[in-house]
Amino acid sequence: MTLATLNPLAGQRLWQRVLSDRRVSIGGGILLLLLTVCLLSLPWTRDARGDLFYDRQHANASLLPPQTHQLWLLLGSTKLGTSLLGQCLIGGVISLTIGVAAAAISLVLGVAVGVLAGYHGGWIDSLLMRIVDILYALPYILMVILLKLALEPLLLRLWLSTAAANLVVLFLSIGLVSWLTMARVIRGQVLSLRTLPFIEAARAAGAGPLRIFLRHLLPNLVGPIAVYATLTVPQAILQESLLSFLGIGIQKPLPTWGSLASDGLTLALNPIWSRWWLLVFPCTLLGVTLLALNFIGDGLRDVLDPKREGAKI
Amino acid sequence: MLRLLLVPAILAALAAGAVIWSGGTAGSDRADFAFINRGDNKCLDPNQMSWMQDIRIAYALWEGLYTLDPVTLKPILGCADRAQADPQTHTVWTLHIRPDARWSNGEAVTARDFLFAWRRFLETPGEYTYLHFYIRGARQYAAAYADYVKSAQSGVAARRPDFSIVAEQALDDRTLRVTLADPIPFFPALCAFPSFFPLNEKSMAPFAHTDPLTGVTTYDQAFTRPPNLVSNGPYRMAEWTFKRRMRLAASQYYWDRAHVKSRVIDQISADDPLAAFRAYERGEVDWLANVDNAPDLAADLLAKGGRGDLHVFTAFGTYFYTFNCLPTLPDGRKNPLADVRVRQALSMAIDKEPIVREAARLGQPVAATYIPPGVFDDYVSPPGLPYDVAAAARLLADAGYPAGRGFPRLTILYNNEGVHGDVAQIISRQWLRNLGIETALEGVEIKIFGARLYNQQYDIARASWYGDYDDPSTFTDKYLSDAENNEAKWSNARYDQLCAEAQKEVDAHRRLQLLSQAEHLLLQDAPILPLYHYVNGYMFRDNVKGIPLAPSAMQMFKAIEVIR
Amino acid sequence: MVKFIAWRIAQLPLILAAIYLITFLLVWVAPGSPFMPGGERKLDPTVEKMLKEQFHAQSLGAFLRYYPARALRGDLGPSMYYNGWSVNDVLRYSLPVSVALGLFAMVIATVAGCGIGVLAAMRRDSLLDYASLAVALVGISLPGFVVAGILLAIFCDHLHWLPSSGWGTLRQMILPGVALALMPMAYIARLMRVSMLDTLGNDYIRTARAKGLARAAVVWKHAFRNAFLPVFTYLGPAAAYAMTGSFVIETVFNIPGLGQHFVNGVKNRDQTLILGTVLVYAAVLLTLNLLVDIGYALIDPRIDVTAKSPNA
Repeated sequence: MTLATLNPLAGQRLWQRVLSDRRVSIGGGILLLLLTVCLLSLPWTRDARGDLFYDRQHANASLLPPQTHQLWLLLGSTKLGTSLLGQCLIGGVISLTIGVAAAAISLVLGVAVGVLAGYHGGWIDSLLMRIVDILYALPYILMVILLKLALEPLLLRLWLSTAAANLVVLFLSIGLVSWLTMARVIRGQVLSLRTLPFIEAARAAGAGPLRIFLRHLLPNLVGPIAVYATLTVPQAILQESLLSFLGIGIQKPLPTWGSLASDGLTLALNPIWSRWWLLVFPCTLLGVTLLALNFIGDGLRDVLDPKREGAKI
Repeated sequence: MLRLLLVPAILAALAAGAVIWSGGTAGSDRADFAFINRGDNKCLDPNQMSWMQDIRIAYALWEGLYTLDPVTLKPILGCADRAQADPQTHTVWTLHIRPDARWSNGEAVTARDFLFAWRRFLETPGEYTYLHFYIRGARQYAAAYADYVKSAQSGVAARRPDFSIVAEQALDDRTLRVTLADPIPFFPALCAFPSFFPLNEKSMAPFAHTDPLTGVTTYDQAFTRPPNLVSNGPYRMAEWTFKRRMRLAASQYYWDRAHVKSRVIDQISADDPLAAFRAYERGEVDWLANVDNAPDLAADLLAKGGRGDLHVFTAFGTYFYTFNCLPTLPDGRKNPLADVRVRQALSMAIDKEPIVREAARLGQPVAATYIPPGVFDDYVSPPGLPYDVAAAARLLADAGYPAGRGFPRLTILYNNEGVHGDVAQIISRQWLRNLGIETALEGVEIKIFGARLYNQQYDIARASWYGDYDDPSTFTDKYLSDAENNEAKWSNARYDQLCAEAQKEVDAHRRLQLLSQAEHLLLQDAPILPLYHYVNGYMFRDNVKGIPLAPSAMQMFKAIEVIR
Repeated sequence: MVKFIAWRIAQLPLILAAIYLITFLLVWVAPGSPFMPGGERKLDPTVEKMLKEQFHAQSLGAFLRYYPARALRGDLGPSMYYNGWSVNDVLRYSLPVSVALGLFAMVIATVAGCGIGVLAAMRRDSLLDYASLAVALVGISLPGFVVAGILLAIFCDHLHWLPSSGWGTLRQMILPGVALALMPMAYIARLMRVSMLDTLGNDYIRTARAKGLARAAVVWKHAFRNAFLPVFTYLGPAAAYAMTGSFVIETVFNIPGLGQHFVNGVKNRDQTLILGTVLVYAAVLLTLNLLVDIGYALIDPRIDVTAKSPNA
């Protein structure tokens, strides 16, 4: 069991190994750079009086192509005369927030179900895994939409602002359909960990289940959790872009990279007059980010988890 | 190794088989005229029909007592060859069905076929049932029948109302007598509308389902599919493959068959506007009937100097915002919009030019009025509220919100489609800039939108209205106090009275004046904020003849031909 | 083996029933009525009541009393949105299209994905490795609507090589087939690479190399066959994904397939159609998984499928 070597003492060496993987270091570098730029520009993209404000509709500035003499026009302007640069910057923050939040939800759920099933075994295991089997056989996209529809009125009653409710519904509906793979992987890991001597020893020493989970299981699950969390983030971001394409994504005027791409699609691909910048910039950012995340995930897996059980991605 | 190659090989073989199974290789023959409609057909039962794409097809399949002139789209005699109103009251109409009027199965069209269809409207109401209420006794009968159904459903013994209270009778097999409640001048236009088309009861009988409790007969809409559908118009339904195409073939029994120009017409399905445009560019279709649905494409064609085959022209509809006029908002707060000054202020603070320029993008005329000016002959449009930020600010201050202070945060509701989101963004910014009022945006799915709009679960919402027949009352009726479609719940006794007077007025000129006064009142009281009037956008090349550029966006298929 | 298959087949109806129930409940609680016309006009309450009764949808109980029993006999009821069409009609027109396109896409995905995976594995950590993976990962790094749109813009609008849309000819299938293949291809390439690396590290491969066998021969004769197995398990879910259609690809390429109903069905609250498409989807997925498990055993008799943890 390779993962058994993954104890806290080996932390130093592990980090070195992870970072020495070129996919992880290059992908991580790109991701960090993008994230920093997007976050650091927030004071400007959120300043209602600034040129870069995501909802600042400049007069007579509809669909201007990119130009270098004005910063806010660096990536061109949108249909309503807002700065595409400003929208891309804040859109990045929102896209990544949605990705991370949805991944976090799926992680918590997946780990909880996986550990419960794997550790407890018996009928709980069978029950949970049959539920996972059933949910696997439901079409993903239909479930996301249905969840979004069913959750939205509920949350609107709880929340005051429609924008906040919309964001939370997006996290939830994407997160709630993305945890199945995580649950299976974690269960498999726990199943094999459970029989290892140090767990047996802890149990014999009278440690409670929570203690065993926190002290012994969790540290050994960090590897697969890190891998699958990294791979769930890009999936969640992609899901959000699909929802935007269907017109049920992020609430305007807030943008995400996905909503910018879907809004720009007909204007950019229209054979009569292509407003290419509306698609090229958001899609490049989206594509590079997702590629970086996928590379990091792949790299992490090679390092942390070279002999995986089964073949699920 | 070879065994592994088997996997793709088997997949490929299966794929080939599935292509044939899907009917992929069949049906490539080109029709005389092919077009892409405004969307998928939703319902081809004239009783329930309301979508423009369905009404278009209905004109090909059926024909009313009156039909529309292919060029002017004014009502002309259709299935009837004579019709007259009595000269004294203008309310008693006698209509004679042509002797050679035939169903697509060869049977003669009779007065009973009309009465069957009309009665069905009152007993199982459709969206256009109200058009039948111009006939004396129809409204009462429909109400009584609904009461009867309700009590029968709850198990109370009830008596069916007597249909003879409705002033519709068959004098003989080919003669109808209809008495109107008021001397409305547009009765021929109503007769030409699908809600007054006849239906062939015999062909529908296999699809009938009679509720044992109420005795109400409903029909499985499968009767509208080939080969079941029997219709009396220039075309019969020859083929309808789901989401692919609908094929109409000239009816061999239609009385005016000599003047049916295209023998076979195909309606091709295409949901995506770019896909539709590409099909048109490749010559797969002759007519794109909805480029106004995809403004970006058409707008860029226009911006690039236009094209001879792109036709953009005034439509029969208006895009506007509607204010909830109830005393309280859905969340229970006091509704500032109940104050006419607030509605006027919000209306006068909007510059509509940028909306058309940046969002709608097809050169739509900016709207000051609710009824599009110029679409009704002799109708004089009243002036609307001007764009005047200073006056708007004063009105808002008068209402108790100087510079927007203390104004509650309202939400703009729209459905997540087309340009609605962009328009909402522009309006929201303008209110903030011009009045200091903050609004939130809420884009929802169309189904949720419709449900919330008509249950007044909104503060401010986008809305639109298309006229149905050639008379301003097709617009003004919407804001009568008791109108079903009055989503603003605006109620004004004087308005109701003006509209009622117009309904009774025989003098056409005076009638239009009354309606114009009513519209003036509506605009001044501002339950709605008109933004722009719709345009229609068609694409068809010079060799396509017979498609009129009419505000109603209708056409008579029998007059369309492609010169090749 | 036979017992295992019998057991799996016996489970199918139960899983399908659970899926039916879950979907139904979600659809039922979603706000909005299937009979409400979109947007501009109000639906008369008495009409709505009549329509509900006509469709046996006046209450949760009425629906469940009427439809599931019929579904057992293969009648999925009338579509609530497409007036006059039964769900069976709709599926009969759309499913074959999606199956054909999906199988076609799977051919592309398997061949290209395996090729890329092997190539990347053989040049581990080289530029070629990363570059070929990057190409493969495009399918899961860009939204489908963007990829499909760009393919159309290039091959149809600019190069005029291929037709834009519609259904019927092989040429019309190429672009949507490629677009649909990108996602499974990315996963296959990834799987293939990892599993190839694992295999190439095994002793018997080293032995074969040491015995002087040519590198290509080793890769193809020995390593590939074993490395393909994990990919083979993935083919089940991947084919189910591809064969039940994609809303995005069907919209962009104007293809009358099944995928549109997953989205439009919900949009229109077409309860019967949603249930029908979900049942078809689940049935296809479960059957394919079963077939893959059987095939797995045939390809590699050493593997005892019955011992494997259940894999969807």
